Amino acid sequence: MTGSGKNRHEIPAAWSWTQASSWGFTGLAGVALGSMVLLFLWQSLPLWQHAGFGFFTGERWFYRQREFGILSMLYGTVVVSLIALLLAAPVGIGAALFTAEILPTRWRTPVKIVIELLAGIPSVIYGLLGILFLREWVYRALEPFDPLSGDTLITAGLLLAIMVLPTVMTLADDALKSVPAAQRRAARGLGLTRAETTFTVSLPQAWRGMIAALLLALGRALGEGIAVFFVIGRQDNQWPAHLLSLRPLTEAGQTLTSKLVGAEINLAYGDPLHWAAMVGLGLMLMMLVGGITWLGARWMRRKEHHAQGA
Amino acid sequence: MRRALDRAFTFGATTFAALAVGVIVLIVSALVWRGASAISWEFFTEQMQLVGAAGGIFYNILGTLILLLTALLFSLPLATGIALVQSVYLRNPRTRERLWLGLSVLNGIPSILFGLFGLIVFVKFLGWGKSWLTGGLLLGIMMLPTVAVALIERIQAMPRKYVEAAKGLGLREPQIIWSVILPQCSGGLVTGALLGLARAAGETAPIMFTATIFAGATLPQGIKESPVLTLPYHIFVLAQDSFDPAVSAKVWGAALVLLGLVMSLSLAALPARLRMHEEAHHG
Repeated sequence: MTGSGKNRHEIPAAWSWTQASSWGFTGLAGVALGSMVLLFLWQSLPLWQHAGFGFFTGERWFYRQREFGILSMLYGTVVVSLIALLLAAPVGIGAALFTAEILPTRWRTPVKIVIELLAGIPSVIYGLLGILFLREWVYRALEPFDPLSGDTLITAGLLLAIMVLPTVMTLADDALKSVPAAQRRAARGLGLTRAETTFTVSLPQAWRGMIAALLLALGRALGEGIAVFFVIGRQDNQWPAHLLSLRPLTEAGQTLTSKLVGAEINLAYGDPLHWAAMVGLGLMLMMLVGGITWLGARWMRRKEHHAQGA
Repeated sequence: MRRALDRAFTFGATTFAALAVGVIVLIVSALVWRGASAISWEFFTEQMQLVGAAGGIFYNILGTLILLLTALLFSLPLATGIALVQSVYLRNPRTRERLWLGLSVLNGIPSILFGLFGLIVFVKFLGWGKSWLTGGLLLGIMMLPTVAVALIERIQAMPRKYVEAAKGLGLREPQIIWSVILPQCSGGLVTGALLGLARAAGETAPIMFTATIFAGATLPQGIKESPVLTLPYHIFVLAQDSFDPAVSAKVWGAALVLLGLVMSLSLAALPARLRMHEEAHHG
């Protein structure tokens, strides 16, 4: 993605219907985005009155007992996204190194497009594959640890890793390609090998873009609900007794998103407090993902300014 | 030593790329392998029977197409307006930067939150119940950044001399936009729309509470309480609790159809993307 544009077309603009409706449409989109945040805040008000800060520190979510704490779901979200990122980062960046540094330029776009097709596969299909294949494989692989089923946080992490892989790959490839080819040629001309060129010329300039790529991928992993719901979301998890123990990874659980796509939202619809709690979950998710995406997008833009200034 | 390192680097990067390509081959072949047996002419033309164990997915395909068409009609004018504001009307670079960030954030918002938003606004406040129009509008908002960004990139890649020449001819601003910029950049609009639709076609989370049901809907007759059947929700429901082999075959068939729809939409965008890529490098 290129940025807000050095090549702006200067046109003398007087009042016109075209201009007025353009501004109007832009305003409409802005209002939609803004009203989303305000609506979520407003609809979750009963929750903040009821639970207050306990919403963030509570380990238990029992709506019948009117207890709403999101800590265990936050744990699920963080763990699942981290597993996804740890797996997708090396593969995605490695594949990007291949397309940007090794592959001849005319092959780059076709290969990239094939990998981007992965990004287009609907999450419900990933979920289906997760249920019918991945769950089974993970169950067998984890057998020594005696899991209850193949519905584990690890399964969800693996599935998400596959889902965010194209994002990591294609954005990392863009970052590498934004390093001018002339610099690469110069380095190769000096007798550096391809690997040395990559590590001394390309990577030092592209690392900002790589971080942006990982942040945007993290945003995607945090927000994915349907596929995660399929492989773990049918059972609540608990806040682990030992935070660093790996045992909970082999158990099922909830993430912020899997809770929201589950059936509980229908139950909550008629009960103001329960409803407020669900909307509160949504608000949390929005802040988390919105913040990370904003950071990633800004970082990517900063990188561009950097490249332009240099 | 240097040679060995270089070879190790090449080998490693190639392996990872092969792994990534291997995953997509694996996924597509798994779907074809499991789903192909369900595909027949009747699968496309009959309605679902016996809770998904028999019949076809006619109304599911129809419903998905209705949602996509609504989303397209809604997002095209909005995306065009946003793209014009960003690349023509906005003069302050700061504000342009903010609009750009806004689009990025909108693009990153988890799809379930659009579902929640639709549930509050359309189902709860407006009392529409489940309606195809809600689904179309939500999917339209979701694809907005994709369409707008594709058009913006195209406008910015357009040679300056076109606009200069139009100005020299004395064309006024609406004329320049309608007869120079938009026709020149319509490829961006088409590419963006196709990619946006490809994403929207597979979305489950925004429509599951607002626009679609599992069984018992045909063509919508009005706006209120007129849900449609859709492909993604069909798969979503059947995948969860079907150990019946008859159902299972149908689910894979539906998944294969959905995958085919999504991929043909993204592949349709391919020629324009390749052309733009070439122009960017040689133009």
